[in-house]
Amino acid sequence: MQEQIKQWLEQGDIDIFLGYKMIQGHPLPYCFTKENPDDLKDLIVGNARYSLEKMATKIAAEHKELKIGLLTRDCNQRALNVLYIWNQLNPENIKTIGVNCCPSNLKEHGDCSYLEPELIPPIKKMIGIDNNMQVKAAEQFNQKERFNRWMYEFQKCIKCYGCRDICPVCFCKECSLEHTDLIATGGIPPEVPIFHLVRAVHMGGRCIDCGLCEDACPVDIPLRLLYRKVNEIVTDIFDYTTGTRADQSPFNMLGEEVTLKPKPI
Amino acid sequence: MDFKIIPSTCSYCGTGCGVLFQVMDGRLVDTLPMKTHPVNQGRLCIKGWNLHEHVISEKRLKSPLIKKDGELQETTWDEAIKTAADGLKAVIKDHGPDSVAVLASAKITNEENYLVQKFARAVVGTNNVDHCARL
Ligand code: SF4
Ligand code: SF4
Ligand code: SF4
Ligand code: SF4
Repeated sequence: MQEQIKQWLEQGDIDIFLGYKMIQGHPLPYCFTKENPDDLKDLIVGNARYSLEKMATKIAAEHKELKIGLLTRDCNQRALNVLYIWNQLNPENIKTIGVNCCPSNLKEHGDCSYLEPELIPPIKKMIGIDNNMQVKAAEQFNQKERFNRWMYEFQKCIKCYGCRDICPVCFCKECSLEHTDLIATGGIPPEVPIFHLVRAVHMGGRCIDCGLCEDACPVDIPLRLLYRKVNEIVTDIFDYTTGTRADQSPFNMLGEEVTLKPKPI
Repeated sequence: MDFKIIPSTCSYCGTGCGVLFQVMDGRLVDTLPMKTHPVNQGRLCIKGWNLHEHVISEKRLKSPLIKKDGELQETTWDEAIKTAADGLKAVIKDHGPDSVAVLASAKITNEENYLVQKFARAVVGTNNVDHCARL
């Protein structure tokens, strides 16, 4: 892996490479450059994921022609696909090296520590939503109970905007969550459930189910489950699974006519 | 093109969350939570997420100010400290040390807070020490 990246840097295939390095005892994102090729011997995969593609987006916004290489787990790759579709990154300027990802039923060994089911406190199971729940199971609650359980989760929100700030596919210059006409300001929790539902709607066709938002949520709101539901609807209607392809999304087609056949909900 | 990630500690409160500063071409552009930090484990409050903003803020003071002729004017540190010391001395002389109170801060280190109370007790001569959160 190191040799490959070194070669890319030397040949000018890429100008920088975003990977990880141990710094002060922590696996942290690190930008490798052709000026310091020896740094590459310290390149690690690291078991803490950061959104390297979000960093790449920020860099590319200021350095349009820069060729960026990056280490990608499955989630990073899905996010890249969405970023290509939405013209946030130019696929011609990006080169990736795929690495082993989270352990799962399919993969015994993973380099990423994520997806270890968390221990859910009993009170949350009783009156809130278990973060490890699947969409199907969450739909079993009757409407009133479901609403109450979600409201219990939402009202814990401390409005840190961490879910948006960490999200690789939240790149809007002006974010609706800060729009005073849409969501009232000045209180904590923010207006619920509108705050969370606005974001959920935006995640249709955008969210690639990386789980970074839920990871960053200080109050453990099961955001991922919410966005999974939203994208299940997207898949049902448009036959499009967000993040799986880099060419086209039903959400950014121009023109008057819808060519995809809508499916009944 | 120069891009660095610099680990640091949030200076907004005593919790001490681990943050990562993103520095592009020598400019601080963003803050991220450090995922492996034992204190915050990849989470931050809204203050931590926006830590870079007070560093790069246009409104940030770059030199001390003294009010002269009814207006705040830039000055040197020597003059600023002398003015503050003279003012404090005058108050202590006229009204006694207990007319002074010191409010410690959540935004400074433990050691600096120690110095603050030491200053109050040993230099000013008062036990009026409290915390800014109780202001
Ligand atoms: S929450 Fe919505 S408006 Fe805000 S950055 Fe994300 S997608 Fe854009
Ligand atoms: S899981 Fe969360 S952080 Fe990841 S893409 Fe979806 S909304 Fe963004
Ligand atoms: S990360 Fe959690 S607490 Fe913070 S704004 Fe998002 S939902 Fe609210
Ligand atoms: S991020 Fe928030 S809780 Fe953490 S140290 Fe900063 S101000 Fe305190």
